[in-house]
Amino acid sequence: MISLVPSWANRYADYWDTIKERNLWLIKLRYGAVVMLTGFLISSKLILHLSFNKTQFAALILINLIILIYNLLLYRLSKFIKTIPGHFNPLHFSLLQMILDLTALGLIVYYTGSIETPLIMFFVFHMIIGSLILPGTVIYSIAGIIVFIINILIFSEYFLIIPHQPISGLLPNPLYTNIKFIAAYDVAFIFVMFVSVFLANKIANQLYKIEQQLIESLDKLNEAETEKQKYIIGIVHEIKTPLAAVHSYLDIVLKKFLGQLNSKVEERLNRARIRSSEAIDMINDVLKVSKLRLLDEIANDEVELSEVIVKIVKKQTINLRAKHIMLNFFDGRTFKKKIKGDKFLLEIAFSNLIGNAVKYVGTNGLIELDLVDNENEIEIEFADSGIGIPAEELDKIFMDFFRASNIKDRSYEGTGLGLSIVKQIIERHKGNIFVESPSKLALPGRPGASFKLKLPYIN
Amino acid sequence: MSIIAIIDDDPDILDASGLVLSAKGHQIITATNPDDGYKIVKENSPDLIILDVMMNEPDDGFFLAQKFRREKITTPIIMYTSISKASGMDYGVNELVPVDEFVEKPISPEQLIEKVDKLLHKKEAK
Repeated sequence: MISLVPSWANRYADYWDTIKERNLWLIKLRYGAVVMLTGFLISSKLILHLSFNKTQFAALILINLIILIYNLLLYRLSKFIKTIPGHFNPLHFSLLQMILDLTALGLIVYYTGSIETPLIMFFVFHMIIGSLILPGTVIYSIAGIIVFIINILIFSEYFLIIPHQPISGLLPNPLYTNIKFIAAYDVAFIFVMFVSVFLANKIANQLYKIEQQLIESLDKLNEAETEKQKYIIGIVHEIKTPLAAVHSYLDIVLKKFLGQLNSKVEERLNRARIRSSEAIDMINDVLKVSKLRLLDEIANDEVELSEVIVKIVKKQTINLRAKHIMLNFFDGRTFKKKIKGDKFLLEIAFSNLIGNAVKYVGTNGLIELDLVDNENEIEIEFADSGIGIPAEELDKIFMDFFRASNIKDRSYEGTGLGLSIVKQIIERHKGNIFVESPSKLALPGRPGASFKLKLPYIN
Repeated sequence: MSIIAIIDDDPDILDASGLVLSAKGHQIITATNPDDGYKIVKENSPDLIILDVMMNEPDDGFFLAQKFRREKITTPIIMYTSISKASGMDYGVNELVPVDEFVEKPISPEQLIEKVDKLLHKKEAK
């Protein structure tokens, strides 16, 4: 059996997606054809003062109606088609559509005067569409069959075997009995049909090859990215091992396991411990980022976000009390659905955002967490009345290692990776995150920042 | 007083953890590779094992823990890791690996003492 799949279509999943898309596209286009045919009937009568006899008129209306009906049926059918080898697949569906359309077009051509009708040009258009979907052999065969049928039609009319159905008023003299015209027209028609198929096929082929090269390059890039992340994890891990030992020794000395320390030594060792903590935090953040980028799949837990928030806020209670921070949590959701995602990762993201708010809001500050939702998504806002983010830096805030200028010169510790991690986690959950500063809680001299994120609900 | 076996290829981690725990009055035995680790556990039947996840090879620690459990050695195990929790890869305790507790390096002396006490109490309760 002849394969309907073109030889160049070797990335199956993509190819089938394209075919499915084009099938739907053809169905949409067909509604246009019905409208156009109706328009043609009306305008040719009213504007061009052409006339059809009763048979023609009835036939054209009927064909138009049949096209409309089979289009509705095809649309229904399109929803049940699956790409199972050996079964009725999207390509068979394309072919079915093409056969139906060409039959309808053949009839329309016949009822509008065969060789005399301008509508014959629509065959070329069908050949081009076909070439984009079907392999060369199939579409050349279809072109051959059309040419054959059209020739039978033309010559049957020429030899008066079947009645000619001209549009009266279109041509001053009938051409269907003019053998010179028929010969010239026929040759041109055959030529245009096959050359169109040839060109369209070639172009489709090349486009597909280019697309494939692009996909291959993308795969290679992704591979290189994976290698890079693995390399980072390897290196950073190697650095962490000795650092962990250093840190452990500092702890032991500072906790006086080895005896008392003189205060000058103790002070410097404390500094050393703080600095090694910074390095370890940085290493842990880099590891988090790299691991996240390497993660192919995230867990698929059903997560109730308000529970996640409450859990994280509880962990911050000591900090909130110590800094006299007022934290309000408003749950203004109507649908209150769960979201699908990785609970552990979401906790990391939310605890980063809440942790940032607590860190930058300062003593006596305000923090407000709001949940709102609609049927499809949940929106969470984390607003604070803290030091805010300079306007010109808002678009850089999610970049790796970026730290806003107003926190660099103060003693806020941080690696500049937290928000990058948050953004990656949210995006892995098909969500979005936005930042605003000043926030709605802005106070004089305390512009504050607000992070809004949207996550899709399970549907 | 309890006997605690620490198995880690990093001699400084052995020394540091050993210092902390011996200061609490525990007897420490150490090994720097899985084979020696297996031997000291077999010979001394410690009350607690502290095991590093990565020794010569990644996951050496996991395999050793599995070996202990296969041989019905039910001594509680604390596993030292350096990247697990920090990186969002939370190993399920008891699902994948038969250990009782994961701790991330570097561990502070207070935390180490707390976890060790917790597991020793749990063992006594059994």
